[in-house]
Amino acid sequence: MHYWLIFWTVSLVIAGVSFAVITGIVMVKGYSDLRQMFSRLAEQGKHDHE
Amino acid sequence: MHFAAIDWFIVVAYLILSVAAGLLGKKYIGNVSHYLVAGRELGTFAGIATLAATEIGTITFMYNGELGYKYGFAAFAAALISGLVMIVVGRTGLVIERFRALRLMTVPEYFERKYSRGLRLLAGILVAIGGILNMGVFLKIEGEFLTIVSGIDSRYLVAVMTVILLLELVYTVVGGMMAVVITDFIQYVLLSVATILVSIYAVHYTGWENIVAKVSSTMGSAGFDPIENPKFGITFLIWQVLLWFSIHTCWQTTAMRVFSTRTPEISKRVMTWTGFIYLGRGMLPMLWGAAALTLFGVGALDNGVPLPVVDGRTLAPIDAMPAMLASILGPGIKGIVVAGMLAATMSVNSSYLLGWSAVISQDIILPMREQMGKPALSSRSQIFVNRLANLFVGLFLMFWGLYYTPPGAVYLYLNITGTIYLAGTFICVIGGLYWKRANATGGYLAMLMGAAGAIIPFFFLHWSENVTGFCAFGLAALGLVLGSLVGKRAPTSLAGAT
Repeated sequence: MHYWLIFWTVSLVIAGVSFAVITGIVMVKGYSDLRQMFSRLAEQGKHDHE
Repeated sequence: MHFAAIDWFIVVAYLILSVAAGLLGKKYIGNVSHYLVAGRELGTFAGIATLAATEIGTITFMYNGELGYKYGFAAFAAALISGLVMIVVGRTGLVIERFRALRLMTVPEYFERKYSRGLRLLAGILVAIGGILNMGVFLKIEGEFLTIVSGIDSRYLVAVMTVILLLELVYTVVGGMMAVVITDFIQYVLLSVATILVSIYAVHYTGWENIVAKVSSTMGSAGFDPIENPKFGITFLIWQVLLWFSIHTCWQTTAMRVFSTRTPEISKRVMTWTGFIYLGRGMLPMLWGAAALTLFGVGALDNGVPLPVVDGRTLAPIDAMPAMLASILGPGIKGIVVAGMLAATMSVNSSYLLGWSAVISQDIILPMREQMGKPALSSRSQIFVNRLANLFVGLFLMFWGLYYTPPGAVYLYLNITGTIYLAGTFICVIGGLYWKRANATGGYLAMLMGAAGAIIPFFFLHWSENVTGFCAFGLAALGLVLGSLVGKRAPTSLAGAT
C-alpha cells in the first residue's frame, strides 16, 4: 500500500503540474493560433468569391 | 441559495460571451468541410484546447468524482491509462495519422472507403445509437451538479438544463465546428482555471493526510491498489487499455478534431499534449471525490463505503463532490467555478451534438439518398441537413437526458454504451488500415458481433463491465478475422479526398 501511495502521489503531482503548465501555454498560443486560422479562412473565402 | 450576486454576474456574463463568440463562427462557413471540420485549418494549440474542452465536461468531473469517492486512489489507474494511451497514440500516430491523411469528416466514412457503403450505413447507425445513448445521461447529471453547487431549487432543474441546451444548440446549429472551436477555446480556459482552483481548495480545506487516512481506514489497501480492488483487477486494467485505444482513435468527437487539423503531424502533436491533460482530467476530480469522502463519508455503508451525509441528508456518492464544492468555496470563487463547469458542460455538449448529428447526416441520410438513386446534395444542402440532424439530436437529448437515470457507476455506464459501437469500429479500422485481407464480410461480422458482445452480456446476462468489454472486443476481432477469411477479398482504393 505504501508503494502505491507514493506512486499515486507522484502521478498526481505530474498530472496537476502538466495540466496547469499546458493550460498556460494553450491560453497564450491558442489565441494567436485561432487568429491565424480565421485569417487563412477569410483569405480562402476571398479567393472563392473572386 | 448558495450563490451570491457576484457569482450570478460571473455566470451570466460567461453565458453571454460564450454564445456571442459562438455566433461569430457563422461568417466562416463556406462549405460542409468548414461546418464539420473547420476547413481542416486547426493548429496545434487551438487543437489542444478544442480536444481537451470536448472531452472534459461536468459529466467528466462528476463520474471521476464518483470513482474517487467509491474506490479512492485505486481509481487513479483509469485516469493514468487514459492519459498514457493517448500519449502513445499521439507519439506513434496509430490510426490518427492515416485517418487525417484520408481527409475524412466522420469515422463511418472510412468504412465506405475501405469496405462498402452498406457497412458505412451500419456503422453510422451503431455510432449514432451508441453515441446518443452515451450522451443521454449528461444533462441530468450536469443539472444535478449545478443545482447542488449553486443552490437552485431542484424543481427548476429541467428548466435550467433546457435553457443551457438551447443556448448550445443556437451556436452549434448556426456555426458548426467553427463556433465550437471558438467557444471551446474560451471554455477550455475557464474550465481549466476552475479545475485548478477546486483542486487547490479541496486539498487545502480537507488536508492531504486526512484524505489518505480516510481512504485507508475505509477501504484498506484496496483503496490504493487497483489490482487488489474487487471492482477493478487485472481484467479491468486490460479492458481499459483496449477501450482507451479505441476511444482516442475512433470516438467520433475526438476523431473530428484529428480530421480538423491542418496536417497529420499536427494531429499527432495535439493528441500527445492532450494526453498529459487527460492525466489531470481524471486524477484531479478523483481527488475531489476522495476529499468529499473525507468530509462527508459518515453514513450507512453501501458496498463497504459510507454514504455521504450533508446537513443531515444522505446523498448518492456521485453528489458528494458538488456538495463539497458548495460548502468550501466562497463567493466569487464559486461563480468562477460554476462558470467553469458550465463552460465544460457546453463545450462537451456542443461538440457531441455536432459529432453525432454529423454521423446521422453524412453516414445515414446521405448514403441512403444515394442508395435510393437520388442525386448528391450540394454543400449548402448538406449543411442544412446537418443543422436539422443537430436539432433532432438536441431535442432527443432534452427528453431522454432529463428523465433517464443510468444504473450503477456512471463511468461504467458510459464505457459500456460506448463499447456497443467502439468494439466493432476499432477492430474494423485497425483491420482495414493494417491488415490487407480485411473485407466487408469481416467488417459486417465485426460490427454486429461487437455490438451483440456489449449489449447481451451487460443488459441481459448482467455480466460485469470488465467481462462485457472483453467479450465485445474479442467477438468483434473474431468476426473480422472469420468473415475476412471466408468472404471474398475485394480490392479497395483508399485514395481520394472528400
